[in-house]
Amino acid sequence: MIKKFIHLLLPFTILVTFSYGQSNQAGLLFQLSGKIKDASTGGMLPAASIAVQGASNGILSDKNGKYTLKVTSGPVHIICQYVGYQSIDTLLNISGNTQLNLSLKPASQSLNQVNIRAAATAPKEIATQNLTVLQGSDLDRTRGLSLGDALKSITGVTTFQTGPSIAKPVIHGLTGSRVLILNNGVQLEAQQWGQEHAPEIDPFIANQIEVIKGAAGIRYGTDAIAGVVSVSPKALPTDTGTMDGEVNAVGMTNSRLGAFSAMLEGAFGKKLAGLSYRVQGTYKRAGNTSTPDYILGNTGLSESDFSAALQYHHKNYGIDAYYSNFDTKLGIEYDTEVGSISDLEMRIAEGRPVTPYNFSYFIDRPYQQVNHSTAKARGFYNFSDSSKLELQYAYQVNTRREYEELSFSPSLAPALYLQIHTSTLDLNWDHKDGGGFSGSAGLSGMNQGNIRMYEYLIPNFVDYDGAAYAIEKYMHNNWLFEAGARYDYRWLRAFAFDANAARIDVTTTDYSGTSGTLGSTYNFTDNFKITGNYSAAFRPPSINELYIDGVHASLAEFEIGDANLKTERANDFSLSLNYTSSWLAVNAEAYYNRINDFIFEEPTGTYYHAPSGALLEFQYTQANVYFRGADLGITVKPLDSLEINSKSSLIYAWNETINNYLIYTPPTRLQNGFTYHFGGVGAFKNISLGAENVYVAKQTHVPPGYDFAPPPNAYSLFNAHVGFKVIINRTLADFDIAANNLTNVAYKDYLDRFRYFADEPGRNIIFRLRVPFKIFTNNKVPTNN
Amino acid sequence: MLKLKHGVYVLLGTALFYASCSSKSEEAVQPNIANETITQASLKFTNQSNPADTPSCTYTFHLDNNDNVTSVDSTTLKLKANSKYNGVVYMLDQTQTPVFVVSNEIKQRENYHLFFYQPTPINTAPVISNTSPYIPGTPVTPSLPPLNLSIVRTDHDTNNPPMQVGLTTVFTTGGASSGNLRFVLRHQPNAKNGTYAPGSSDLDVNFITVIQ
Repeated sequence: MIKKFIHLLLPFTILVTFSYGQSNQAGLLFQLSGKIKDASTGGMLPAASIAVQGASNGILSDKNGKYTLKVTSGPVHIICQYVGYQSIDTLLNISGNTQLNLSLKPASQSLNQVNIRAAATAPKEIATQNLTVLQGSDLDRTRGLSLGDALKSITGVTTFQTGPSIAKPVIHGLTGSRVLILNNGVQLEAQQWGQEHAPEIDPFIANQIEVIKGAAGIRYGTDAIAGVVSVSPKALPTDTGTMDGEVNAVGMTNSRLGAFSAMLEGAFGKKLAGLSYRVQGTYKRAGNTSTPDYILGNTGLSESDFSAALQYHHKNYGIDAYYSNFDTKLGIEYDTEVGSISDLEMRIAEGRPVTPYNFSYFIDRPYQQVNHSTAKARGFYNFSDSSKLELQYAYQVNTRREYEELSFSPSLAPALYLQIHTSTLDLNWDHKDGGGFSGSAGLSGMNQGNIRMYEYLIPNFVDYDGAAYAIEKYMHNNWLFEAGARYDYRWLRAFAFDANAARIDVTTTDYSGTSGTLGSTYNFTDNFKITGNYSAAFRPPSINELYIDGVHASLAEFEIGDANLKTERANDFSLSLNYTSSWLAVNAEAYYNRINDFIFEEPTGTYYHAPSGALLEFQYTQANVYFRGADLGITVKPLDSLEINSKSSLIYAWNETINNYLIYTPPTRLQNGFTYHFGGVGAFKNISLGAENVYVAKQTHVPPGYDFAPPPNAYSLFNAHVGFKVIINRTLADFDIAANNLTNVAYKDYLDRFRYFADEPGRNIIFRLRVPFKIFTNNKVPTNN
Repeated sequence: MLKLKHGVYVLLGTALFYASCSSKSEEAVQPNIANETITQASLKFTNQSNPADTPSCTYTFHLDNNDNVTSVDSTTLKLKANSKYNGVVYMLDQTQTPVFVVSNEIKQRENYHLFFYQPTPINTAPVISNTSPYIPGTPVTPSLPPLNLSIVRTDHDTNNPPMQVGLTTVFTTGGASSGNLRFVLRHQPNAKNGTYAPGSSDLDVNFITVIQ
């Protein structure tokens, strides 16, 4: 009955979210109450969550399965969830105090739930582009991993690594300055251009991670030419007079990583109603990682992060402030700083470290010390015609110190010091009318200043960016149409010291361009739709592509920039198909991304003679390239309690100018797995058990002469996990035990720069614990829960 | 709805925002300083039977503003045939003030440094052991007349058991011949075992060598 109801309501849920999500406070308050029970046994379900979509005053049912929720008059969209059970998503028309009893069917992660949750998420910024959301138990299972590693479970996304501790996300074959990362709505501005510069984000703050695959420059600016990774914390609580906390602990056997994260949040009541807060901190420490056959020396890391948020929401307006600080020290594997090509060739011939190392938490030179702090202030105003104006200012400082291995110098100084200050100002206006039109328009401004010390790699620079955009959607019957346009301007001035002439060389360049998007979705039925999108985006050359001049220690490369590079321009076509039924879900996407004047490094064929020996010289240049590929995700549910997943990513990249393949294109990747839900046994609730196989093919499409060693062979890994909940002190605590690379396979990955030196990590058993708890409910210590 | 007033606020805000960003600190460019650089490497010899015979050779790296090598020059090593020479290494970092004597620092850190000396061409593969200063993998060219030069290191570090360093050497020449001398400094932290493989190269240069 409920299922049928859900199917009927599916097309309306989106509309309702749009129209009523933000006008809750306008209506009268009524009480919605009832019981939540197990549909199969009739038993009451304690601690099931129930919430109004769009509001964040969700609560948990008490020990008798009872709940009481304040709702506004008019239509409300109720979501009831309990891990291990199918969620219920329903619409009610409230005109007085209402009784609603809900029966949940066992077996979590049902296809219906997945589908409905996806359809009911907040309106996407770009409706016709492929958006994947990592949340819930899938996200929980990445706790303790770096941001890059956490995203590997998404089709079409992989990582570019520098040893075990540094990973950058790769979307549809592109990474670095071409993938924009949003940290709580602020675009992360660090030294993104560096291949060994991992994103400075604590994944513990994330309640969901959204990934846009494709050229999303239209909404997010010139850095989003390949895609966007958006890390969002959950909304701050609004239930007055509450205080909640959560503790996360992660332990790993390989690298003996320990991570601990704690969060405290609440909403004030009485005179301070509308004011809510959250503080959160994470500490992480890891030692040397082990491969199946040996330990990787100096691969430890330590990280400590802190964030605080404060918001005040009143009827039509709200302001919030956010601050986060990320601080990490990352060891770089010993013996990877090679002095010359002959050193590198010797390392490649050995294929493993020649010196045995023991386990240690000590981090020695070479290492990186990186600090990133972000302060953000945002205000919004909801107009009576349900349009919304938002203004956001953010200031970020990123300080990076890189310490090289020293041979004979007593110096304590880093080899490289870079500090970048970024101010961003964004104004966005969302509107919707009754007739099916909705959209957004806005202005963005950015100012950056970069300061360097010690070695020269990139110059000091100042840049000013400005942009204006508009995106409009129209929904009519089964169709959704979308179109948008954007203009970006960048002014860049670089300052370099010329010792011989005793002066400072100043070089000023400017870049401008337009981006656009055009897309449409056709809903054949409620659970079958096809979406097509064309997006044009551009990217000005990054500072390193223009002005780099120096040695890349671990690749035996001498890199030279080109100050005359033009902007690169992407034309990205994608077609996706989504089908969902009670036992099958299919998400298929095909894309063709053509980038003209693609900026890349080309070996010049000459050698640079460093004192330490000969290095190959690489110069930044431009070519016309294309990427084409397909991502396929299939979920089959032959039983209520069994879910079988299959994910495949294929990509092919070609450089038309040199008539050859593009280097570092991710090879074909297949992930096949299952999860079985047992229900409860004794004190253990919601037991689930799963296993998966990850197969990564050998990359055979490589251009000759660009790499020092052929791509490594294909590999196949097995991962397994078991998860359950246990009630600890009246709170449901989540336990998860996972084993990665269960069979301890020794392998190398093509997209790891350190594959020349060593294998990838061996077996890793990961223990995770998450305990949410309540401190105050309605200004009182909770008596039952 | 959006009013003109709001637009004015936005424009004012934007103007203030840009005005607040100063670029003074970016304009004050810090000089380029490398922690370690080797700008000059020399080998100095004294003929054991004739103290007045003191040949030497020097390899110089010329650097640009960014401490990158723009050009190199080297002098030829000229040794007398059928002689024995005592050799010492002398290395400098001239980017520092005062000039930094790298070879002195290496003497202090001798437990993780090791020098290699490889004459080429050679007719037979050199004997590689943990006391041999020769470089494994050096190509053997039987068709060319070999450089008649053999080298032994004469100094030891304080490792237990002590291992050779190569800051001092004895060069023994044979009949008149010519070729190259490859001179390599290996940096082998926690890993020195007398062989070439561990660590990485700090210096790797060739001197044209004439034995006459």
